[in-house]
Amino acid sequence: MPTETTARARPEHPVVSATGLTKRYGDLVAVDAIDLQVRAGDVYGLLGPNGAGKTTFMRMLFGLVRPDRGTIEVEGIPVQPVPVRALGGVAGFVETPRFYPYLSGRKNLELLAKLDGGGGGRINEVLDVVELSDRAGSKVREYSYGMVQRLGVAASLMREPRLLVLDEPTNGLDPAGIRDMRALIQRLADSGLTVLLSSHHMDEVDEMCTRVAIMRRGQLAFDGSMSELRGRAGRATRHLVTSDDATALTICRTTPGIVHAEREGARIVFDADDRAVERLSRELVEGGVGIRLLHAPTSALTTLFFRLTDTEAGDDEEAA
Amino acid sequence: MSSTASLDTPTATASHLTQRRPGVGAVYGVELGKLVRQTKVRVIGLVMVAAPWVFILLVLHQDRLPLETLYGRYLKTTGFATPMVVLVVAAQWLLPLIASFISGDMFSSDDNHGTYKTILTRSVARGSVFWGKVLAALSATIVVVLAIGASALLAGLVCVGGQDFISVGGTLVSPGAAFADVAVSWLSVLPGVIGFAALALCVSILTRNSVLGVVVPVVVGLVCQMYMFLNAWDTVRHLMLNWTMIAWRGLLDDPSYTAPLVRGLGVAAVYTVVFLALGYLVFRSRDVKEG
Repeated sequence: MPTETTARARPEHPVVSATGLTKRYGDLVAVDAIDLQVRAGDVYGLLGPNGAGKTTFMRMLFGLVRPDRGTIEVEGIPVQPVPVRALGGVAGFVETPRFYPYLSGRKNLELLAKLDGGGGGRINEVLDVVELSDRAGSKVREYSYGMVQRLGVAASLMREPRLLVLDEPTNGLDPAGIRDMRALIQRLADSGLTVLLSSHHMDEVDEMCTRVAIMRRGQLAFDGSMSELRGRAGRATRHLVTSDDATALTICRTTPGIVHAEREGARIVFDADDRAVERLSRELVEGGVGIRLLHAPTSALTTLFFRLTDTEAGDDEEAA
Repeated sequence: MSSTASLDTPTATASHLTQRRPGVGAVYGVELGKLVRQTKVRVIGLVMVAAPWVFILLVLHQDRLPLETLYGRYLKTTGFATPMVVLVVAAQWLLPLIASFISGDMFSSDDNHGTYKTILTRSVARGSVFWGKVLAALSATIVVVLAIGASALLAGLVCVGGQDFISVGGTLVSPGAAFADVAVSWLSVLPGVIGFAALALCVSILTRNSVLGVVVPVVVGLVCQMYMFLNAWDTVRHLMLNWTMIAWRGLLDDPSYTAPLVRGLGVAAVYTVVFLALGYLVFRSRDVKEG
C-alpha cells in the first residue's frame, strides 16, 4: 500500500492544476466546474462510474478537447491554446490506446518516436518492460487487447514523462494482465513518476494511489488523500444467511452499529463496520441462530464509492 | 510484464522533449512512410505506371487508332504522342481520381483508426500535423502523376520511337522540342491536380469519412467535366479545375498562347488555398472525442 509520503519533488507549480474546468456536449455537462490539483510524486486516482467525466477530463488534460470554461495547466503552463507547449513531460493514453493496425508494434513506436523528435533509441528498452519484444514485429491488427494496452504503456514510456496519464489501464485485461499492469504502474510510481490514472476499480485505486478524486456526473464528489477517504469509509455492506432469518433480522436491528438491515430474498443485507460485525456474531450465536454465510461483497471503500456516486453495486459490478 | 526489466527514472531526463520539438518535417516523414507501406498506394502506383505500356502495346497490335482523341492519330507515328494521349484521357477523370485516392483519406484514416489521440499527444503541434499530412499527400500525388507521364513517355519512345512530333497547330517539332512540350504539358496539369487533392483533403477533414473523401472530388470533377462538354458560359467553364488541366493545349498551338494556362494557374491556386484554409481551420479547432 503506498503512503502519502512518497511525493518527492515539490516544484513551484502543481503537476496538474484544473480551475473551474467545464465541458459541455450539447445539453450534457460532461465536466462541471472542476477544481483539482495533482502534485509531483502523487499517484492520483480519478475514480468514477462510466459517464462520470473522467475521460473528458483526461482529453482536456491532453489538449484533445477544449474546455468551454476554466483552465487546465501542466506544471504551470496552460494546456490551451497550444497543448504541445505544456505537454512536453506528459505521456499516456485516453481509453484504449490506438495504433496503425497495418504496421508492426515496433514500426508504430518508431513513427511515434519521430513525432517526439527522437530516434527511437528506447524502443527495445520499453518493449522489454512491457514484455512485447518477441511480438514487436507482428502487425498491431494481430495483437490481443492486452497487448495493445501494453504497447500503449510502451509508447508512453518512450517519452520519458514526468507525468504518466493512464485511462483505465487495466480495463479488458485478464487477471494476470491486471496484476502485471498494476505492478508496472507501482514500479514506475516508486521511481518518482507522477501518475494520474482513472479507474472504476476502487480496489485498484486503494492499492496504488496516494490521492484520489471521485467524480460523479461531471463533478467532484470527493478529493483528498486515500487516508482521508478510508477515514470516511467506515461501514461496508454485508450479506448474512442464517438458519432463522426472522430472529436474525430482529437481532440485527437491535445490535449497535448495524444499520440499514433489510431482508433481500434469502439473505439479510446491512451496513456495519468490523466491530459491529463481531458484536452481531456473538449476539446471533447467543440467540441460537446458526450463521450459514456472513460476508462483505464490497469493501467499505467501495460502499462509500457507491454512496458518493449515487450508484448501486449492480450498476457497476466492476467497481467491486 | 517484466519485473526485471529496468527503466531509467524519467523525472530528470524529460526536459529535452520540450527543447527539440519536432515540426512539419517529422510529420511529413511519418506520413510518407505510412503512405508507401499501404498496399493500396503501392498497387495504384504500379497499375498507373504499367497502364501506358499496356495501352500503347494494344494500340500497336490493332489497325484502328483513337482518332477522336487529340494526338490519337499519331500514336503509331511518334512515341511522343503516347504521353500526350495519356494526358488527354487522364486529365478528364483519372488525375482527379488519383488525387482523391491518395489524399481523400489522409485525415479521415486517423479518424477511422482512432489514432488522432495517439499522434496529437506526442510532441508535434496540430498545425505541424496538418501541414505534414498535406505535404505528404500532395507530394505523393505529384510523384504518381509524374511517374505516369514518365512511364507513358518511355513506353512511347521504346515501343514507337523518338520521331518528330506534330504540334496542335500541325507543325513538325524536333524530338528535343517535343520532349520539352511533353514535360511542360504534364507539369502544367499539376496545379489542377493539387486543387483536386486539396478538395479531397478538405472533404476528408470535414466528413471524417474516407469514402466521401475519395468520392466527392471525383463526382465534382465529373460534374465539371459534363458542364465543360456543354457550350455554356465560358466564364464559368474557365473557373473550373478541369479547365486548368487542358490549358496546356495553348502552349502546343501554332502560334502558342499562354493566357488559358496563366488563368488556370490562378484558378487552381485559389481552389487550393480556399480548400486548405478551410481544412486547416476545422482541423485546428476540432475536439478529438473519438477513438
